[in-house]
This record gives sequence, C-alpha cells and structure tokens, in this order.
Amino acid sequence: MAVTLQGSLVEILRKCSRLSSHLRIPVTKQIGSSFPVTARYQSSKSIAYPSSYIPETSLSRPPWPEVSIVDPEEEAKQHQAIVKKVNNLLENGEYGRLFAVVHFASRQWKVTNEDLILIENHIDAECGERIRLEKVLLVGGEAFTLIGRPLLGRDLVRVEATVIEKTESWPMVHMRFWKRHRYQRKRIIIQPQTVLRINTIEVAPRLT
Amino acid sequence: MVFLTLSCWIRNRGPDRYWKVQEVLKNARHFRGRKNRCYSLAVRAVRRAFVYATKARKAKRRSMRTLWISRIAAASREHGMKYPVLISNLVKSSVQVNRRVLSDLAVTEPRSFLSLAKLARARQQEGFCAALGNGKEPPGVFSRIVQLQ
Repeated sequence: MAVTLQGSLVEILRKCSRLSSHLRIPVTKQIGSSFPVTARYQSSKSIAYPSSYIPETSLSRPPWPEVSIVDPEEEAKQHQAIVKKVNNLLENGEYGRLFAVVHFASRQWKVTNEDLILIENHIDAECGERIRLEKVLLVGGEAFTLIGRPLLGRDLVRVEATVIEKTESWPMVHMRFWKRHRYQRKRIIIQPQTVLRINTIEVAPRLT
Repeated sequence: MVFLTLSCWIRNRGPDRYWKVQEVLKNARHFRGRKNRCYSLAVRAVRRAFVYATKARKAKRRSMRTLWISRIAAASREHGMKYPVLISNLVKSSVQVNRRVLSDLAVTEPRSFLSLAKLARARQQEGFCAALGNGKEPPGVFSRIVQLQ
C-alpha cells in the first residue's frame, strides 16, 4: 500500500515538473533518494551560488561559540538587584526549608534539618553532644542558592548536629587469594560508625 | 537469655574439625547446588565469594563515580553545556562541590544546579573574553580562520 502510494505521488510530481520545467519544486529534492537519476541530476544542477559565497568549513568561523560581552556597569546593576532581592527574602524569612552541602569526615553531604547521617569513623565528641559543622559549601532555599567559593562564611550559615549513636559496622571480610602461590589472607574488618542528627540550618538575616 | 552453650555441648562429640567445617558452610548455605552442603566444594566457593566482595568494595567507588559523572553530563546538557566545560569552569571559579553532590543536586535541586550551570557559563564567557582581548588578532599573527567580512 505504502509503496503504491509513494509511486503515485512520484508520478504526480513528475507530471508537475513536466508542466513547469523552469519552476523547481522543493519536494522533489527530498524524495530524490528514492527517485530516478534525472530528478537528482536536475536538483543538483539547480543550486546557484552568489558570487560572494564562501562555503562553510571548519575554518570559516572561530571554533568557540559566540561570545556575548556584558557591559560591566549593567552587570553591577544586575548584581545589586539580585543581592537586594536575596536580602529581602532573608530578612522576611521567606526561604522555606533550607538545605546545605557540608564537608564533614572527608566527604560532602547534602543535608537538610532533621536528617540522619552515618559517618564511617569515630568522631571526637560524646553521644548527645551538639556540634557545629563549619565547612559549608552551599546553601539553598526555595528561591535562592548561596554558593561558597569554596566555603561560605562562618557567620553567614550555621549548621548544627547532635551525635546520636556510636556503633560499629557489621564485620566485613577482607580476603586476598593468589592461586597456585599458597597465598591466602583473611581479615575481618570492623569500622567504627557514628550517627549524626542535623538539628538546624540557619542563615544570617543579611548577606555581608 | 538464650543459653546456647548446652546445645553446643550436646552436639560436641566429634573432633574440632566439625566446627571448622560449619564455619565455612555457614557462609555457603544460600549457594546453589552441592556447594551449600559439601565442604570441599563449599570452601572454594566461599573463598571466591569473599575475594569478590573485597574487590567489589573498591570497585564500587569507581563505578559510582562514573555513574555520577554520567548523571551530571546528562543534566549539564540540559543547560546547553558539556560535562568537561561545566566541571572545569566550576573548578576555575573555585567551587569545590564534588561530583556526588553535584549529581544529587541535579536530581533533587534543579534550580540550584541551574545556578551552578549559569556560574560556569559566565566563567566560560569571561575566559573567552580574556583570551580574545579586544576581538582583534594580535599583531604579527596570521590566523587560519577566514574572516567573512
């Protein structure tokens, strides 16, 4: 069915082209692949370039994308407007539930308040003690994100956590084996673990 | 209080070998075929399994990192940027958020990720501007790039 339809369409096109041979139908170009050689020949012949045309190659334009140069004054204006907006949000406390990215125990954690995080090591605080996580990389609210480069100021953000539990991991078997060499070592590894509860994430009411 | 010692005494009529075998078989009880009950087959299978587990604990880190990277790559392409562009420009603007958190942000906090992408884009434009200078070629340099005008 599809084949016959295509054939009939091609015939109609051929008739059209016969009727108006000087008028080029753009459709013929697309169908050209499944079409007699004559149409393809004509279509390829029909492209007439203007005299000032340079074909597009890898060297006809710089390899980097278009650079949009922003006026420094305008940029400063935009910057001020954004800072004002964020300050307003902070003053009115309209930021919803905050999340923070903290660097703790040599890894980074994305936390929000009332989160539990499990640390694969013992830390230097007793159970029930409240600690402050000071390396804050990023704080986000509903409508803004404060990005530290690399850290946010200590007086800007305050993330507090409580040590809830100090336990040990389940015993992990560390086994090494080298066949045909009578080499076999088996060791049980138990890692101390600490569970922290994130209590609060607070942001100062004003950017400094 | 569960008192297991007595039942162990009752069982303990053979040599120590019995307990040694049970130690190995304990780890093989969920295996398929005769491995889960014949000691000589079970030892090898258990040893193999332990070696796999040890290696996998290391390999997991690497494979997780590739997973994060592919997630970040997909998310950065949403904002019209390739992964290396995003990461290198974030590093240049001294944002030290790692790939795990970046992929988390891309999944759960798309707006924060967008702001990071915008930061990287701005840094990239700055770099281009600095490299291009005032838009003209430096004197004495013949560029292969065809000037269209």
